[in-house]
Amino acid sequence: MEENSVLVVDDEPIVRESIRDWLKDAGYQVATAESGEEALELIKKQDFNVMVLDIGLPGQAGIAVLKQVKAQRPWIKSIIMTAYPSAETTVEAKKLGAVHYLVRPIARDDLERLVRETLDSAGRERTVTTEVEIRPKPPVVEVVAVKKSLVITKEGLKSMVESLAKDMEIVGVKSRHGKYVYDRIASFEELHLDYDVAVTPPTKYLLPARETLLKFKIGDEPKVEPVIEAIPRAIIGIHPYDIKAIELLDDVFMTTNPDPNYIARRQNTIVIGVDCLNPSPKSFAPSMDTHLTETGFDLLLTNIGADYMVSVGSEKGADLLAKHAQLREPTGDEIAKQKAVRDGALAKYKLSLDIPKERLPKLLEESYDDPYWESRSESCLSCGSCVMVCPTCFCFDVKDNVSLNLKDGQRLRQWDGCVLIDFAKVATGENFRHDKASRLRHRIFRKGKYILERYGRFGCVGCGRCATACLAEIASPLEAFNAIVESVQAKEAAMRIFREVRPEIELYAPRLAELVKVEELTEREKVFEFSLKDGKALGHRPGQFVEVSVMGIGEAPVSVSSSPTRDGTFQLAVRKVGDVTNALHNLKKGAMVGIRGPFGNGFPLEALEGKDILFIAGGIGLVPMRSLVQYVLDRRSSFGRAILLFGARSPAERLFLDELAAWSKSPEIEFHETVDRGDESWMGNVGVITTLIPKVDIDPRKTMAVVVGPPIMYRFVIGQLKKRDLPDENIILSLERRMKCGVGKCGHCQINGVYVCQEGPVFTLAQLRNLREAV
Amino acid sequence: MKPKVAFFDFTGCEGCQLDVLNLDGEELIDLLSAVDIVNFREVKTEREDDYDIAFIEGSISRESEIPRLQKIREQAKVLVALGACACIGGINCLKNHLPMEEALKIVYGKDAKYYDTIPARPVDAVVSVDYYVRGCPPITAELLKVIKALLLGKEPDIPNHPVCVECKMAGNVCVFERGMTCLGPVTRAGCDAICVNSGRHCWGCRGLVDDPNIDSEKDILKKYGLTVEQAVEKFKIYNTYAEVTK
Ligand SMILES: Cc1cc2nc3c(=O)[nH]c(=O)nc-3n(C[C@H](O)[C@H](O)[C@H](O)COP(=O)(O)OP(=O)(O)OC[C@H]3O[C@@H](n4cnc5c(N)ncnc54)[C@H](O)[C@@H]3O)c2cc1C
Ligand code: SF4
Ligand code: SF4
Ligand code: SF4
Ligand code: SF4
Ligand code: SF4
Ligand code: FES
Repeated sequence: MEENSVLVVDDEPIVRESIRDWLKDAGYQVATAESGEEALELIKKQDFNVMVLDIGLPGQAGIAVLKQVKAQRPWIKSIIMTAYPSAETTVEAKKLGAVHYLVRPIARDDLERLVRETLDSAGRERTVTTEVEIRPKPPVVEVVAVKKSLVITKEGLKSMVESLAKDMEIVGVKSRHGKYVYDRIASFEELHLDYDVAVTPPTKYLLPARETLLKFKIGDEPKVEPVIEAIPRAIIGIHPYDIKAIELLDDVFMTTNPDPNYIARRQNTIVIGVDCLNPSPKSFAPSMDTHLTETGFDLLLTNIGADYMVSVGSEKGADLLAKHAQLREPTGDEIAKQKAVRDGALAKYKLSLDIPKERLPKLLEESYDDPYWESRSESCLSCGSCVMVCPTCFCFDVKDNVSLNLKDGQRLRQWDGCVLIDFAKVATGENFRHDKASRLRHRIFRKGKYILERYGRFGCVGCGRCATACLAEIASPLEAFNAIVESVQAKEAAMRIFREVRPEIELYAPRLAELVKVEELTEREKVFEFSLKDGKALGHRPGQFVEVSVMGIGEAPVSVSSSPTRDGTFQLAVRKVGDVTNALHNLKKGAMVGIRGPFGNGFPLEALEGKDILFIAGGIGLVPMRSLVQYVLDRRSSFGRAILLFGARSPAERLFLDELAAWSKSPEIEFHETVDRGDESWMGNVGVITTLIPKVDIDPRKTMAVVVGPPIMYRFVIGQLKKRDLPDENIILSLERRMKCGVGKCGHCQINGVYVCQEGPVFTLAQLRNLREAV
Repeated sequence: MKPKVAFFDFTGCEGCQLDVLNLDGEELIDLLSAVDIVNFREVKTEREDDYDIAFIEGSISRESEIPRLQKIREQAKVLVALGACACIGGINCLKNHLPMEEALKIVYGKDAKYYDTIPARPVDAVVSVDYYVRGCPPITAELLKVIKALLLGKEPDIPNHPVCVECKMAGNVCVFERGMTCLGPVTRAGCDAICVNSGRHCWGCRGLVDDPNIDSEKDILKKYGLTVEQAVEKFKIYNTYAEVTK
């Protein structure tokens, strides 16, 4: 049988003949038939690989022809064409093994491609990804000081790589368009170990541009399943600055809230570094102390001329050498040579910081309002190139992708970045970094300050990629740092923020919860009562929030509105503003949602204990506030006076009417409320919420004010409270920010150096005074 | 009830409709079990058709197309612009740079007097558009994304950042580093930078991002050797109607 024979069956001569000619031109053996009968005759006499069949044929209906062909010559693969597609025939054709279904008119290229793919598919292998087990308590990568240096010949290195390739995928630096890129290496000859810099960093093998976090099913039997994929892989030829970047990612993804997907890949990756002897002209690695490294690799190579020096950085590296390589001890000359080539490389760097890097945080802090940011960002395209090529950038977005059958889908994560316009936009329409200048400044602050304060390492390793990638030529942190140097004298060393460790393996997998009760609050708000499917209590503190998922639509952060002192269920009150919140509003009793959390710090119950508490809630701010009010009422004796001020825009927008009525009568709590605009039925106060504050008398020494409301309200309420001499430490606020992950990874919620989902959402005014972007 | 979907063809190349059909068998089955496609080709009497979602392909470049489009808008619950011509005016707008009679002569020669033509414009210059499936040709995955979003009642998530983001995700060497120029930095992503992936550069077929820095892009084109006129020409190909070429 010919390997590429095609039978074209169509009654329209023009179509039949043009398809015949196209395929003949493309090098196929083509026969034609103008009816089903003729086609069936032909296949008896001659063998075909592929049949292209119009199912609108006269005589035998197309589907019947397909059926007979299938019965008589089951190996023939069929591509079906029609001008009139219908669900029935497609299903039928599919059942009968049709591999493609095309609707006419058909483009020549498409048809050729489909025929080619159909012919190829027989021989194609399936790709297999190895399932990996994640260990319950992932160890932080062991840091083994460099114990030993050995020598390997170039031939020896080649056979080591070839031997490794039998066990795992090999990735390394290849040349492309006169530049260098990381890619799979098929043969040792492709591998470059003497490159200057790769266009994009190797970190994509640990945190890919797109990956699936979860698979889910929607419907009667909802299901959520974490997806963790990793294959054994060695990355060969990573420069020290990129190894330092990987060390930062390890800190970000493997310490607090360990990320199972990252860890699986990290544990399956072997890092084989190489000293950078021809630095890129844009690199300033020595200023960031990343041009050499003693940690972070399994093996590290140095090209010393005829041979390579190999430094062993881990047990894994030592095992690997023992299994795959032939080595010898270095001579004294060779050790001297290694030092000499490294010194030679150092001399080649052209750029450097004008001050020691330790002075950057202070320097930046003092230049926050510098006009430099405005002028520097003028030409910024918000194109994202700078963050997409950066080895130390790791922010991401999370979205749901549902299949067309609307029954199953995946939750995906995808790179995102703080220089993109929508990165910090929230539901109220407010964008916390709406102008180019504040986005550019935020990125540079991450690089020189925030990341350092959080993880103890700089967020920039000085690779210079962003400076090369930025067409507007404004992305280089080095230039920004140097430009603001003059204005500052500094001294301070980095300070770390310490946080509690709460390891969570199924970090992105929600628990299922059943909707046990829904109640309408206003036209836009409903309160939902949920019970976790595993029967456990949520275990939250007042003021904490959860990430609630409607599978297929997405996830949204929502405060828990009920107190943990009540029942095993919990309540969320939600305003309809967009996708997830609309979908929640459409749910009926019995529906399942996903819940992650509780997240965030919650209200400082310890600091509130024994104090008079002045609750000030504006609009939907009553939702999180209610959890604390209930808590205080349930533990009444632990607190002093309780005064609640509530303001709504109009009587129709008042929430939790029954509770408001109960509170207004209760001797346990002093309750005052107002609306911005009244109506005929409204008998109470009219005016904005600040007008209530002078009406209550408080003792500033023992009063704690807890304020929750829209951003605009904070400025005015704070002003009033300051008039009453309340110290900043006694004013507690809960902030809303754009959030995605809830676990301090995705970067969306960041205010200056602070992650609202971790250190917040509750802050004292004293804390916020240092956060310029906050209120 | 499955929503009924109809495709209407205005001034374009029909390349967009072809693309709709470039689905694999599985996808097509799923699509047809989710919606009814009631009409694929040009029809004469839009009002008599029964449809909920209208996909409009092509730009509006004849007087007679305006009432026709308005009728479709009245009937359709959801109207989707499909492809560059419909979304942003696209290549058809190139003729806007010529006087109309001249354009007619070039296109139709001596028959020009039988045709009425007006400066080409995108669909949303005539009626309101609910969703856009951008690109020339549009991307099947994005079309499906819009359809799924309609079925699920959520907003389709179409990026508002430039092509560079996806270009870098794909690990490309920037074409500016290879002696070419590119409109990626101001063009709306969503195509996975296919043109750069396959060795070319971005022409801007998906239209501009919401807040493009056109001045900066023009400066960059100049810095990389284009004259002012050449830079403007580059924008004209797809984005004439967006008036960035003034
Ligand atoms: C700590 C915290 C607690 C919150 N508590 C409550 C609550 O108790 N009740 C309540 O009704 N709402 C609450 N919100 C707001 C709620 O998270 C948003 O309204 C919700 O995320 C919008 O999602 P959506 O899919 O419905 O809207 P979308 O369709 O995604 O978008 C609509 C708008 O919301 C913005 N947005 C998208 N994602 C987020 C996000 N993750 N955070 C903020 N804005 C976003 C978009 O930029 C867009 O402008 C809280 C937010 C935070 C950060
Ligand atoms: S700084 Fe440069 S690379 Fe970064 S977003 Fe702005 S223009 Fe793009
Ligand atoms: S900020 Fe720029 S120089 Fe620093 S690590 Fe990232 S890409 Fe490299
Ligand atoms: S916030 Fe930091 S890590 Fe995230 S994109 Fe910006 S600079 Fe990169
Ligand atoms: S090739 Fe074009 S799209 Fe890609 S990064 Fe360069 S300018 Fe942006
Ligand atoms: S790269 Fe540019 S021209 Fe190509 S498909 Fe994407 S938007 Fe269109
Ligand atoms: S870091 Fe992702 S929400 Fe805070």
